[in-house]
Parts: sequence; C-alpha cells; structure tokens
Amino acid sequence: MEKRLQVQNLRISFRTINGKLQAVRGISFDLYKGETLAIVGESGSGKSVTSKAIMGILAGNAMVEGGEILYDGQDLLTIEEEDFYRLRGDKIAMIFQDPLSSLNPIMRIGKQLTEAMLLKAKARQKSSKINFDEKMRLLEGYMVASDPAQVDESKRMCDEFRRYIMLYIKRERSYRAARESAEEARDAIAELLYLIDKNALHDSKEQVQETQQLVLNSRDQYVLAAGDERLVAVAKALSQGLSHQDKSKDFSRLKQNLETLQQGINDILARPQPDLLAQAYYHFRNDGKDYSDNLETNNAYYATYMQQGFTERFIEKTARAIAYTDNIFLNLRATAIAELTRGMDALNTGGVDALKPLVDSITQAVNATIEPMEIVKDSWVRTFSGSLKSFLASYQDGQRNNERRMRDFERTTQKHNRLTARGKSPTWKVIPAALVDMELVQENIANLMSNLKAHYEALNAGIGQADERQRAAQLVEYLKENAAGIVNRVTKYSAKAKALRLMEEVGIPEPRLRYRQYPFEFSGGMRQRIVIAIALAANPDILICDEPTTALDVTIQSQILELINKLKQERDLSIIFITHDLGVVANMADRIAVMYAGKIVEYGTAEEVFYSPKHPYTWALLSSMPDLETKEKLEAIPGTPPNMIYPPKGDAFAERSRYAMEIDFEEEPPFFRLSDTHWAATWLLHPDAPRVEPPRLVSERVAKVNARLEGNADV
Amino acid sequence: MSEKNDQVLLRVENLCQYFKTTKAVDDISFTIKKGEVFGLVGESGCGKTTTGRAIIKLYNITSGSIYFKDRRISAGTLSYRKAITDARKEMRTADPARKAELERFIAEQKELIRSARYDQKNADKLYEDVMSQEVDEKYKPLLAAASGEELWALQKKYAYEKRIAANQRFTTQIQMIFQDPIASLDPRMTVYETIAEGLVIRGEKDKAVIDEKVYRVLEMVGLVRDHASRYPHEFSGGQRQRIGVARAVVMEPELIIADEPVSALDVSIQAQVINLMNDLRHKLGLTILFIAHDLSVVKYFSDRIGVMYYGKLVEMASSDELFLHPIHPYTQSLLSAIPRPDPLFEKQRRRIKYDPLSAHDYSVDKPSFREVLPDHFVYCNDEEFAAYQRAYGGQAE
Repeated sequence: MEKRLQVQNLRISFRTINGKLQAVRGISFDLYKGETLAIVGESGSGKSVTSKAIMGILAGNAMVEGGEILYDGQDLLTIEEEDFYRLRGDKIAMIFQDPLSSLNPIMRIGKQLTEAMLLKAKARQKSSKINFDEKMRLLEGYMVASDPAQVDESKRMCDEFRRYIMLYIKRERSYRAARESAEEARDAIAELLYLIDKNALHDSKEQVQETQQLVLNSRDQYVLAAGDERLVAVAKALSQGLSHQDKSKDFSRLKQNLETLQQGINDILARPQPDLLAQAYYHFRNDGKDYSDNLETNNAYYATYMQQGFTERFIEKTARAIAYTDNIFLNLRATAIAELTRGMDALNTGGVDALKPLVDSITQAVNATIEPMEIVKDSWVRTFSGSLKSFLASYQDGQRNNERRMRDFERTTQKHNRLTARGKSPTWKVIPAALVDMELVQENIANLMSNLKAHYEALNAGIGQADERQRAAQLVEYLKENAAGIVNRVTKYSAKAKALRLMEEVGIPEPRLRYRQYPFEFSGGMRQRIVIAIALAANPDILICDEPTTALDVTIQSQILELINKLKQERDLSIIFITHDLGVVANMADRIAVMYAGKIVEYGTAEEVFYSPKHPYTWALLSSMPDLETKEKLEAIPGTPPNMIYPPKGDAFAERSRYAMEIDFEEEPPFFRLSDTHWAATWLLHPDAPRVEPPRLVSERVAKVNARLEGNADV
Repeated sequence: MSEKNDQVLLRVENLCQYFKTTKAVDDISFTIKKGEVFGLVGESGCGKTTTGRAIIKLYNITSGSIYFKDRRISAGTLSYRKAITDARKEMRTADPARKAELERFIAEQKELIRSARYDQKNADKLYEDVMSQEVDEKYKPLLAAASGEELWALQKKYAYEKRIAANQRFTTQIQMIFQDPIASLDPRMTVYETIAEGLVIRGEKDKAVIDEKVYRVLEMVGLVRDHASRYPHEFSGGQRQRIGVARAVVMEPELIIADEPVSALDVSIQAQVINLMNDLRHKLGLTILFIAHDLSVVKYFSDRIGVMYYGKLVEMASSDELFLHPIHPYTQSLLSAIPRPDPLFEKQRRRIKYDPLSAHDYSVDKPSFREVLPDHFVYCNDEEFAAYQRAYGGQAE
C-alpha cells in the first residue's frame, strides 16, 4: 500500500508560565492511502496537538522539538506558510471539535459552503495546469536529449500533443458542465416528484425554477442536443402558473411535465458518451470534420486512429526518455551513496563534529538525485537535507547551551532545597532542564543516512527490471489526468446544487431554507454537519477528524460516520480519526493507535485492539464504557491524567493502573511486538512479567466475540 | 428497581411548549414514579431539554399541566383558549339550545384558565402555607406542654423551622444537573459558595448547619473538604461535574433532572460520574429524569425510557422491553445506530433509516399515543396500532 503520510518521532512542547509542557513525546505512525487511522485517548493526551501539527496550525507558544511529518515529498514541519496554503483545506482538511468556532458568524451558510468549492476548484485548475506544463517541458527536454537523431520529430510531437489537448480541454469543459447539470437535474426532478407524491411540497417556486435552470444549463451538442427541442420547451413551461397551483395544492400539471422531463433526461444520460480526447485529435488532423454521423462508430474509429497515428509512437519515445533519465539518476545515486558512506564512516569514527565538513557535499549529492519527472514524490530524498540541517542545528544548540541549562537547573534545585530545609514551602516547582540528548541526535543522524542509503540501493536494484513502456504509459496517463483537471470547472450554479445535495447528505432538513440562514440559527448538531459538509466540499486527500461527532446524537453520529466512510471509499481518502470514544472507532478504523500522556501505548488493527488488547490503559478505556448488555458497576479509571510539565518517570499510566509493577515507576517500557501490525508498550508483555488477566468486562466481551467467531467458523 | 413502588412523583399531561411558531414540545404525557430513573432520548433539537426545563419551570408552558406530588406546579392555557375560539365559531351558526350549551362550555373553559393561571403563579406560595401549617401543628402541642429552659429552646427551634417553611419553594424539590460543567458553574464563586448558595436562598443562616451540609455532600460526591475553598477552573472536567451534582443534591431534592450530564465528558470520566449518580440514587432514593442521547448509557442507567422525535413522544416502555421490542420505526432506527466496541459487528451493521414521510400516512387517520403492549406505549394511528398488535401481541404473553 502506498504511504500517504508519515509521522516520525514527533515531539512537541508548549511554553507556559509554569514551564515546558511536553504535549507529544516522540510518536511515529504511517497513514496509508484509503485507510482510517484512529487515535484514541483522553483529553490532554496530545492527540489534537498531533493533528494540529499536521495541519500546521499549532498555537504560537508551541515548539516542535524534533521529528518529521512527511507528505508528498515535503516535511510539513519545515515548509513555509505560503506552501501550506496549497495543502491546507485542499489536500489536508480538518473537521474540528467545536463547530461554533469554525464557522463565520456573519456569513450565510450557503456562501460558506460554496466558497471553498469555488476557490479550491480554481486552485486545482491552476495547479493541474502548472503540473501539465511543467511535466511536458521536462519530457520534451529529455526526449530531445535521449534521441539526438530525431530532434525535430520529438519537438513536433510534443507540440502536437499540447495543441490537441488544448482543443480537447475546450470541448470537454462544456460537455462536462452540461452533463453534470443534467445529472443534478435528474436528482432534483426525482426529489420534486417525491415531494408531490407525499403531498409535502411547500415553497415550490424556487425549487422548480432551480430545476428548470439545471435542465436548461445542460444544453450541449452531446447532452441536451439540438434534437431535444421538445424537452427544452417543456422545461421552459415548467414554472408557468405555478403560484396558482401552489395555492390550490393541485400539482397535476407540474407532475406531468416533470415526468416527461425525467423520462427525457434519463434517455439523454443513457446515450453513449463521446470519446472527446480521440475526437479532438482526429479533428485536429482533419480540419474539424467528423468521420461519420454515428457517435459509436466515430468513437471506435477515432480511438484506433489516435492509437496508431500518435499514442504508440509517443509512448515509445517517452519510454526511451525514461530509460535515458534512469541511467543518469543511476549514476547520480551511486555518487550520493558514496558520499553517504563517507559521511557515515566519519560519523562512526569522529562523531558529529567529524561529519560537519562533509555535510555540504553530501546534501549536494543527495539533492542532485531529486527526480523532477517522478509522479509520486520521493519523500526520503526530498526531505533529507532539511532533516539533516535541523538535527545539526539541535546538536549545535546542545553544544552551546546544555551546560548553561544544567547549571540553571542545579541552581534552582539548590535554592528549592535550601528553602525546604528552612521549613518553607515555595509556591514554585523546579522545572526540569530541557537538555538536548547528544547521543540521540547522533543516532538520529546515523539512522537518517543509513535509511536513505538503503532506499537508494533498493531503487537502483529495481531499475533494470522496471518496464519502461509501462511507466511511460503511466506518465502519459498522468498528463491526460492533469489535462482533465484543467477542465474541472465549478460554476456558481453547480456549486449551489452540490452544496444543497451535500447538506441533504449530511442530514440537514429543508436545505433550501437553511442555505440562506446564518450559523446562529442552527443547533449544535446542525452546525457540526455544516462544518463536515464544508470540509468535504473541497474533496481532500487526507481528512483529519478531531472528535467530529462528540457533540452529536447517535443517529446523526452514525449518519456522519457512514458519510465519512462512504466518501473514503469513493475518493480513496485517508482519514485520521481522533476521538475518546472507542465505540465510534470500531465502526471507522482500520488501525488504532491508543495515546496516553503524549505517547502511543498500543498500536494495531481494529480487530487486534478490540479483541486482544494488551495495554492496561486500553483495558481501562474498554471497560469504562457501558454497552447494551452491561448491568454491573462500571470500572472507572481513577484519578486524572498526569501534568505534562512534570511527565512521570517510567510508564505514565502506572499511577492510575491496577496492574502497575515496580519497574513501571522506574523505566519506560519499550514497544513489544505482538504481530506485524500489533505493538504495545507495557512491561506486562516482558517474558519475566507475571501473568495478569484483563478486567472482567474486557475478558468477557472478548470471550463472547471469540465464541461467536468460532460459531461462524463451524457454519 | 427491586421493590415495586407505585407512588407517582411527577405527572406530565399534554405538555406543549411553543416558541413563536416552533413547536418544541408538542402534546406529550408521561409519569415518573418515585425512585425510578426515567430516560428521555432523541436527537438534538427534538425537545428533550425543553421538556426538562419546562418541568423545572424555567419556561411558562404553553399548554397542558405538570403535577409534582399531586400538586399542579405548572399549567398552560392554550388548549382552553383554543376550545373557546372553536366554540365561539360554532356559536355563530348554532341553534339556541346548542348555543346555551356552548355558552356553558365557554364559561367552564374560562374557569379552567383562571385556575391554571392561579396554579401557575401560586404553586410555591400554596406550598408555603401548607408547610407552615404543618410546623404549627407540630409545635403547638409541644409548646403548650413545655416550660422554662425547654420552652425557650423549643421556641427558638420553632421560629427557625417556621422561617425555613416560609422560604421553602415547592419547586426546590426538583433540581437540575446541566450538560456543560464549565458553563454552569460561576467562575467567580468558590465551590463552597456555589454549593451553599441554594441553602442560603432557602433561608438557612446558621453557618454550622451550612458547613455540615456542604462538607457532607462534598464527601458524598467523592471530593474532599480542601476542595471547598477552590474555584471551578482548578478542577478537571469530571470533578466539575461532581460539583454540579453536589449543588443539586445539597438541596435534598426528590427529583433530579439530569440534562445530558455526561455528554461533555471523556469516556473514562463519564464512567466516574455515572457510577457516582448510580450510588447517590440508591443511597438517597432519588428519582431522576435522565436526558441523554447516548443510548448505551441510558440503557445502563434508566428503568424506563421515552423516545422523542420532533416534539412528540413516539414510544415509551421499560428499558429492557424497549430494547427487546422497539416498535416505532424511529426507535428502530435509533437503536440500529448505536455504535458498539466490536469491529466485526460494526462492519456488518445495517442502519435502519427513518423517513417520517414514507413511514407513515397520517393524512386521514390521525395518530395518538396508545398502549400497544402492557406498559409499552407507541405513537400511532388505528391502522398501525392494529398492525403492531398483530406483530408484537403474541410475544407479550
């Protein structure tokens, strides 16, 4: 599976008047394409801070102390705010816990919903255009370089490709707008008919007029074509005499008209769709004349025409260009590997100081291996120099300041001791010294370099085997996709129709009326639904849900969870789902990370965490919630989470755990591996630990599930 | 509950609460028996909080009556006024015999309105009189019999109880716990002041008595004496909610209206608060109207459950019965939406959708609230009633 997002060893602290509050203390996880990762924990466990770091919206007093968040070849912790504009909301969207604070109180709901759609559609068009142009330019350059004998031929082909794509874009744009409008019209008509049927149509005028507009907007050569004049006439007559019908509640004429329209539009949508790309190429070569009158014959003919006349040769040339670039990068990588090996040797023998003079040449060699042509950006290579730089900076910081910090700490400790010895109780506490762990930094640098080296070696080994033709076809496909992205235009009308449908989808009754209202006119649950609709409107890659359903009731909650799940499947969305409610997670999550006091304590697939939980904290969470069968007293977790200005030594949960052993108060437990996907950080899993049984509620629930599973297996 | 107690503590009859044109609560009736927990569930905006607030007299209700310990504490007049309007309309065309009848009817309704207004205004005052009479009756013979030192002490005691009785509000026997512990506590009052405020308003002046009560309640809800002098911001969410509970319990109420007391809390803290309320309920014999949207919690906590949908009570039954035989389609949809901590179950879960337009046809046959099975009420019309009885009648026996 493809990794969408990688979080590595992330550490975040907050400066407060009482000292440094360590909110996140070194967490790592990966997010794959099309999966849901749930982060579960109490408030104050650092789950929201993690999500805010991913969105780049940490509070002003936050300090990122280490780690990286890799997305699309960039480290989100180091990129500039300007670059973040392109990601935030568009690629990574977020649903917040408090809906009131994420809506603009002086803007109508409709405007807030469509604003994102319109703006983001424009931005996407732009970025598609940039992508297309950039990749084309590079491809042309490589083509020319790879085949010196046929420079003119290469240039001509690229030029041709560009020009007929432009022609295609123009046609596709109007076709797609019309077709979308027709689809919206179909839904709108179905809804109107349903309402008439149930005798529940109020305020009909606006709704009918909108439907009418949608039908009329779908006029195009291939949708509501010249031959469908009858339908246009019916649509135009739709709103006549409506006020009269509205009064008498006799909608028979409207119903008749709508049924005609429905039939007509269904027929239109069932018609074969034109292959506009191939058609554009044919027209481009033949002065815009059609091959025949029949659309299907045309489609087939155009497709082979383009395939033989252009695509095959183009792909061949692209493949050659790719082979050529591969060779170049093979050599560049070899140089980079040599540099890295040199650097690692220096690091091993002389420490970080010995590495310093080599840093420039290493980063240069690594940066040279960044492939501009690649479709999926290589995060390892692209973020290497940034990470190295920040590690070196923290090393330098440690060298300069560690001593002073230690001195300060000792001084305040002595002062505190002196005061307590005199029988006073000072109101302040000693803040532990925030030292840079020099050994850890060195280890981090070594890891970084050896990881990259292994990555290079794997890449180089794979080169000879890769099918260049296939990669070339992929690249051409990518170019076409981007060209199609340029076409994707959202008009005000279609945005409104989409917004209304989205509002209906998230369960808002009377969306037409609500569309014109202000946020204060909505109840809490309704507001949250609006917020979710807005986040989904921009169609993001990664969706971060920060307790999105905590304020909602069950039916709405499950509607919204279903909605998120559906969208996830449709759009291959990756979701980070943050919650304290394990019941919600069972439905949503593919994998679960349980967080406590800024650390992940257990990490596994949903089945593993629910059916064989290992960490006492997971047990406590599972047993503190009643389910429908629960009758006995609930096992509440005693006490409160620790104050993270003074993070506890050892296992942070030990103070509140019934299963704590002596070692839990002294040493932090490492991750024990239970399966390829399941890890837990508790000393209970150590071979020397005594065997303990999880709380009764958990073990009973697990036993019940196991019995059911076995029962199923027998059947 | 183990022991059967049939004493009705709260009776709500045809309660309507309209805000301008919005029918927040529309003609609902239910009773709560002494010592039971009555759960009220439904989606946000369905009127369950409004019901709770109407009971505690935070609103002047539009129509219907609320009886607490068989006394009418709240009454609305809309239904009577409507009846009068209708009668007057009919009078225009009616023959003289009918006219006289209608006039009598109107006079009756006017009398009802008058009594409703009187009860609405004076429920507390009437109770005051009853209370001071009781005190009088208790002390008169004692005072007559006593003499000397004893008399003096008795007189002091008598004056004290008389004052308390005079300040006693009937509705203080109903207390409320709110959803959001941060918003419902005054940030500028210490915990002690917050908890003692109700006692002081009731006329309690003796510092020792207040101290004793406050500290006892604090311990009861799992806080310690030291906490009394602190301010709300120094507490965690669960502790704040405990303060809210303490504030309600210190008044020694008979009925507590808990309006989503755990919805705003973390799961682990939720368990603490639920356990606390469960303990208190058994220890003090409280009756609770528990308003929530989390069905697992409601099921765990309540004896009987009422389901609300857009201002109407659509189904009411004991909690086991409701979860075993959900009859109304909305209840079925609600139950099918409960999330469970069980991924395999969740993956196969099918949510039942509820669409009132397609589920019922109330255009001709109007629905009402009927008893389909013993102690199991459903909002339905004749046709549905027959269908439900056919479907579920067999299972009841």
